[in-house]
Amino acid sequence: MKENKTKRKTMMKDLFDDIKVTRRSFMKSASAATGSAVVLGTTFKPTLRALAEASETSAGGAGTWESATCQGCTSWCSAQVYVVDGRAVKVRGNPNSKVNGSAGCPRSHLALQQIYDPDRIKTPMKRTNPKKGRNEDPQFVPISWDEALNTIADKIMELRNNNETHKYMLMRGRYTYMRDVLYDRMTKIIGSPNNISHSAICAEAEKFGPYYTEAYWGYRQYDVKRARYILLWGADPLAANRQVSYYSSAWGDAIDSATIAIAEPRLSATAAKADEWLPVKPGSDGALAVAIAHILLTEGLWYKDFVGDFIDGENRFVAGQYVDAEMFEEKHTNGIVAWWNLELKDKTAEWAAKITGVPAEQIKRVAVGYGQAAPHAISWLGGGPCMQVRGAYASMAVHALNGIVGAVDNIGGTLTSNKEYTSKFPKPDDFMDEIAKTGKKHGKIDHRGRLEFPALNKKPGGGVVTNNAADGILNADPNEIKVAIGYMNNFTFSCPQPERWERALAKIPFLAHITTNASEFSWFADIVLPDTHHMAEKWGYVKSIGNGYRQVTLMHPIVEPVWEYQTDETEIPWLIAEKLNEKGFSNLLDHYKTYKDPETGKAPTNEKEFALYSLKYATQNLWDPAKYKGGDKFNGWEDFVKTGVWNSDPYPYRKRWGKMKTKTTKFEFYSETLKDVLGQHAEKHNTTVDNVLEVCNYQARGEMAFIPHYEEPFIAGDEKEYPFIHVDHKSRLNREGRSANCTWYYDFKDVDPGDVAWQDVAKINPQDAKGLGLKDGDKIRLTSPSGSLTCTAKLWEGVRPGTVAKCYGQGHWAYGRVASIEFGKIPRGGSSNDLIPAQYDRLSGSTAYYATTRIKIEKV
Amino acid sequence: MPRYAMVIDLQRCVGCGACSIACRNENNVPDGIYWSNKITETRGTFPNVRYHYIPTLCNHCGNAPCVRGCPTNAMHKLDNGITMHDPDKCIGCKYCEFNCPYGVIYFNWRKPHQFWRDDKALIKGATSAPAEEAKKVGAKVVPYYNPERDETLPGIRPKGVVEKCTFCDHRVKKGQLPYCVEACPADARIFGDLSDPKSQVSVLLGKFRPFRLREQIGTEPHIFYIRDFNPAHYQPTKGGV
Repeated sequence: MKENKTKRKTMMKDLFDDIKVTRRSFMKSASAATGSAVVLGTTFKPTLRALAEASETSAGGAGTWESATCQGCTSWCSAQVYVVDGRAVKVRGNPNSKVNGSAGCPRSHLALQQIYDPDRIKTPMKRTNPKKGRNEDPQFVPISWDEALNTIADKIMELRNNNETHKYMLMRGRYTYMRDVLYDRMTKIIGSPNNISHSAICAEAEKFGPYYTEAYWGYRQYDVKRARYILLWGADPLAANRQVSYYSSAWGDAIDSATIAIAEPRLSATAAKADEWLPVKPGSDGALAVAIAHILLTEGLWYKDFVGDFIDGENRFVAGQYVDAEMFEEKHTNGIVAWWNLELKDKTAEWAAKITGVPAEQIKRVAVGYGQAAPHAISWLGGGPCMQVRGAYASMAVHALNGIVGAVDNIGGTLTSNKEYTSKFPKPDDFMDEIAKTGKKHGKIDHRGRLEFPALNKKPGGGVVTNNAADGILNADPNEIKVAIGYMNNFTFSCPQPERWERALAKIPFLAHITTNASEFSWFADIVLPDTHHMAEKWGYVKSIGNGYRQVTLMHPIVEPVWEYQTDETEIPWLIAEKLNEKGFSNLLDHYKTYKDPETGKAPTNEKEFALYSLKYATQNLWDPAKYKGGDKFNGWEDFVKTGVWNSDPYPYRKRWGKMKTKTTKFEFYSETLKDVLGQHAEKHNTTVDNVLEVCNYQARGEMAFIPHYEEPFIAGDEKEYPFIHVDHKSRLNREGRSANCTWYYDFKDVDPGDVAWQDVAKINPQDAKGLGLKDGDKIRLTSPSGSLTCTAKLWEGVRPGTVAKCYGQGHWAYGRVASIEFGKIPRGGSSNDLIPAQYDRLSGSTAYYATTRIKIEKV
Repeated sequence: MPRYAMVIDLQRCVGCGACSIACRNENNVPDGIYWSNKITETRGTFPNVRYHYIPTLCNHCGNAPCVRGCPTNAMHKLDNGITMHDPDKCIGCKYCEFNCPYGVIYFNWRKPHQFWRDDKALIKGATSAPAEEAKKVGAKVVPYYNPERDETLPGIRPKGVVEKCTFCDHRVKKGQLPYCVEACPADARIFGDLSDPKSQVSVLLGKFRPFRLREQIGTEPHIFYIRDFNPAHYQPTKGGV
């Protein structure tokens, strides 16, 4: 046996060494090795021991499963990484999680190719070409951490010495909840108002509707297993945000118990498994939603335990007729009659059919089915209907359907977040000197809160307008930006009309970028710092919801970093603080030293201790039995790290009925909350709400401003010149924009319905393609009024004629050897953002991605 | 002796491909080779159109054409029903690949994992080369190489031989599930012993009418499909006027 094995190994080695094996010698060695194979065949007697158990941590294998967190998308699943000899070898869902459990997803595995991506920056580097531009090779050279940190600290000190700390800017990309160390505390203590997050290119408009109806600014969880009807709007939970893993695991059961309908111009992964596909024209979701609301009311299908009823029980919601508000006694809602009279009474299925392109019969069928399932009837708001110019009101309209059927906070309905007990970091106030306080008072570079950018995250200017920061920088409005740091962001790729960011970044005299890969953003940086990867190299935590639970899931260093990576939100700010201290400014380091280890009371003395202590500090209420407040209980820190995740108590259904944080404490169809906040914004600018709406490009005037309603889409480009509407969407393999350097991404790209492996395709309806003389595989150029890209044509019936669907994710011209055809020069495929103009849903501050531009197609 | 089989519940399947990517990972399969794969199909004309997804893998046939046609017995059946391959015996004639009616056997035309053999760095001194990365972490060719695959089959199959799904025999041997089964987020794959009437696979095959791929040709495939990927209802009419 041993001899055979050796022989076999030798032969394998020969083959590995790629020695020219002729067919003859191959045969010879093969027959010589026959013996070993026979032995293998006969001694192989597997027994079935533990197949009933889904998995086991100890049986077989040399490795161990370590708790982790996946941040490939914002599902933020609790995960486990299989470690063999210090290497990360596999990834799976963390069975200890009550949110996602052992369920993973396809994109989670790509984390392995990210961790060991050879194109990761292994050491700090600096540019040696002083000229900055898309066509200027930065000519990066490696430098030491010491040199990199000294340079950054010198630049910050320059601002401090010149009393111009407001010219410092921090740009945040993918974060953990350690974010405030770098994003908030460091920016404040240096003395700048300009900490700019990515949130408005994520989904702020999606939070607008839920906030101005039920005072919840956040992502919802949907109780799919108990629902009887699931109506999705531009959400694709089997492929992209949020809780893809949980919904993938639950969908097979949801299909059995619920009817599933989806409004979406493209046959998405979720549409592929739906009972009803409503292929709405882009930008018409709001019309469909109000028509469904109209039918629910005229058919008497509202949920009376939640909404209330006419005092005599007679349904007066008759198409075209006003209703006397006195006749309706509302329970847990506000303004159903006002909404009817102002918007809904004429919004029939026939009216909506003309606008949406969905047949009236289908609209009626879906509306009635949805209403009959009340209150276990989900109206699932995705980014599609609301990340549009004027999307705020569609966001409200779609979410308000949940109010009509009483699905809000209810079994089989739409749920908010469970309570969790993490703590905030120590306050920075005592460490902010006069320079910092003065600096912080300046206006923000993204213009939030200005008349034309209400960004009404709970209050005027409460939200960020991420993409507009480029214009702020370019126009030096309100001031120039001299020193900037970005981390795990790539606005030159992820923001629409990225060419503005290229010019903006080129204009910043000193830019540092903390990143795993040299991205399109790094291209403009003076210093690039190598970041740790979230899956296996850093301390941190995130919170997420699903399955009626909330989880706090930990990241911890599982493998030794291959190269000189440091963690963006903790280690790097500490290291910068140390340098600032050496240069005479100790406030930041002094502040960080207050993040003491809760177990020993010891202040951190280096970046590693700081990363650990700050996490222990923030999560102490979860792992310290003496501080226990609810949910899972642990014996202490070690126990928490081993388990990897804290789960909340189960969701308390209907607890918020009548106790919402809206102005009226009720679910608002007529939003007194929005009326108040919009009023504040108008007052701040000495004008009227109508003028605010006019400046911000909404159609609503008067009372319409405060109710969910349909607004016509605002789509760039003349229909004659640009005949198609662009439909942007996400891939189930996208790890945000960061999987493009993984070969698995391309080898499996066809798991996205309609897409093709190793290609970046624009999906065109065959009917449209025929008119253009296009066939599968043709190289084409898509052009919008604001830019163009080249990609490949794919003829597909799963797209609405008159639209072209293209997936976001490819089109990198940097990032790595696979992501781009030629690093720094030629992109692989085309990035959708090159087509999309920089437009906003100004009420939420959200960047518009959908129904935002028309395009034309040319064969190249 | 067990007779292993797999039931794939298409209603539970969400068509995500996690099975296939996880398989790549578990078995150190090179790019372009799919032990686990799929058949997708878009049927109909807008707006009456549906997309279908059928996961595929080696059918571990009862009457396996790949085994019957193999001149060296490299492709062989194990007593537990697994169709196994022995690269030591393989002469690379590819008869099995041609004989397989399911297209699930692949030939290694090149030295596998070309990507990881490259010794060029993208940015000199500041990034590593793929080969350097693998060497630095002490892995065999691929940095995330799974050594457990090597327990019953060369961890990475050499150039000049075929390879295919083994039902993760190296895991099954240890009482673990095939990795695609474990990695399926939708629990759409059910693996077990067909000779045991109480096993989950036996129970499901008694409960649902299964279908198998090209079963009419007599290969006795042991991958069974139940239910439908798409559950859509329709309005019943008399003859559909």
